[in-house]
Amino acid sequence: MDNQFIFKYSWEILPKKWVKKMERSEHGNRSDTNTDYPFQLLCFLKLHTYTRVQVSIDICGVDYPSRKRRFEVVYNLLSTRYNSRIRVQTSADEVTRISPVVSPFPSAGRWEREVWDMFGVSSINHPDLRRISTDYGFEGHPLRKDLPLSGYVEVRYDDPEKRVVSEPIEMTQEFRYFDFASPWEQRSDG
Amino acid sequence: MIAPTTRKDLMIVNMGPHHPSMHGVLRLIVTLDGEDVIDCEPILGYLHRGMEKIAENRTIIQYLPYVTRWDYLATMFTEAITVNGPERLGNIQVPKRASYIRVIMLELSRIASHLLWLGPFMADIGAQTPFFYILRERELIYDLFEAATGMRMMHNYFRIGGVAADLPHGWIDKCLDFCDYFLTGVDEYQKLITRNPIFLERVEGVGIIGSEEALNWGLSGPMLRASGIKWDLRKVDRYECYDELDWEIQWQKEGDSLARYLVRISSRRNSRGPYENLEIRRFNRIKDTEWNDFEYRFISKKPSPSFELSKQELYVRVEAPKGELGIFLIGDQSVFPWRWKIRPPGFINLQILPQLVKRMKLADIMTILGSIDIIMGEVDR
Repeated sequence: MDNQFIFKYSWEILPKKWVKKMERSEHGNRSDTNTDYPFQLLCFLKLHTYTRVQVSIDICGVDYPSRKRRFEVVYNLLSTRYNSRIRVQTSADEVTRISPVVSPFPSAGRWEREVWDMFGVSSINHPDLRRISTDYGFEGHPLRKDLPLSGYVEVRYDDPEKRVVSEPIEMTQEFRYFDFASPWEQRSDG
Repeated sequence: MIAPTTRKDLMIVNMGPHHPSMHGVLRLIVTLDGEDVIDCEPILGYLHRGMEKIAENRTIIQYLPYVTRWDYLATMFTEAITVNGPERLGNIQVPKRASYIRVIMLELSRIASHLLWLGPFMADIGAQTPFFYILRERELIYDLFEAATGMRMMHNYFRIGGVAADLPHGWIDKCLDFCDYFLTGVDEYQKLITRNPIFLERVEGVGIIGSEEALNWGLSGPMLRASGIKWDLRKVDRYECYDELDWEIQWQKEGDSLARYLVRISSRRNSRGPYENLEIRRFNRIKDTEWNDFEYRFISKKPSPSFELSKQELYVRVEAPKGELGIFLIGDQSVFPWRWKIRPPGFINLQILPQLVKRMKLADIMTILGSIDIIMGEVDR
């Protein structure tokens, strides 16, 4: 499947303060790093001859509310030269700011805006940090686990005011959760 | 003669969220100096539906109807990737027959998507005729899908472990007829469009992306292949049963809109090849015991409806007609995934738009936007 070459090589070459832990699994290799160093690590991976990771496929945020540093920012990378993929992960909490990786990977501009918009993890000196997917006046960061699925406001068109207004949400029915352990079993409270 | 320069301000024009062509809701704020474009800023988010958050609260089987709404023109790819993720996590092997059916459906979907890219692209440039021609072919594909899956566009067909139902009797012959007919259709497009001088004027040399730049910006799919890099996930990753089939990567060198058009047209012609091979092989059944065993008779392995995702992370990808569609999946030992990140090709391919339209004329924006081939459903999710 994946070529293990850049993984093994970078594990040997990289200074240990950049990389906290490296793990390999059949589903893809990952390396964990500290918040201060993703920029350096990704620059190294991009420019070094034997790793040549030129494509940043994806930057993703994950929320683990039970951890102290609750967010994890995952950089998925691809090297077309060696046909291999590697994942770099950093953890951050609500106030940590990570360094943007826009200069080596211009495609990261939008991904980092999305991580900011959805989770609230901001970048220092990002050229353009604004909301990208949520509505114009939206407050909150949607993909955090503490924001409920239905959100807090609903929008409707208000005829007297002739525009769309946002109002606190009003649900006539409680949100039903369908996570039965087996389809023949119902939730006990209906 | 020097014209008096009385205009000192730049004009800011809003190419509003709604478009007459089928791009979807994309707002472009374009800064113009006369007809030259100084800057262009796309604003997304008009079709954001919270697909990722919804995925954290649905089981896979409940989530399948949602995924066809990301890229509503190439729906089989989104379904394929949604089931590929949990299959890899659970190490489930798909029976051969199901794999073949999946490949046939995926290639039909690829043809359908490229067709519906071509129509609006030509309509943006000004040629209204191809729009009707593509709909004629696309209706044939819709009929095939309806016969096999029950729905014309939003089929809920793929399942973890295979597909939902077997193909009806006689479907294969209809499909082969479609292949033969489609070849004449592609020839018609070639005759009508490819050497048309008006088309070439509009499209040649517009929006050139070099190969280094294409890699840096993370492009994928036909955009990368049009800039000279032969990267196709079907060859590289060898997923499903693509390595049993015999076909070649289509690519061009120049990197302008014409090259992107040529890559897509030729990849359409190319898609037919694999599944013709496939169908003939699969259905020339000899009374052989090999054909009667598990691999060839069953269309899926049925997991329980409450399929649990183990606590691992995984990035699966598929070569969608727009580029590399990926899912980054983190399971949590429960029926709901912990994080379901969608990596849409359109989102990344759209990033290069402001870069490409600088120094172009206003009319070229639509050409470049059309040749990037975006669907807002997947860009915004």
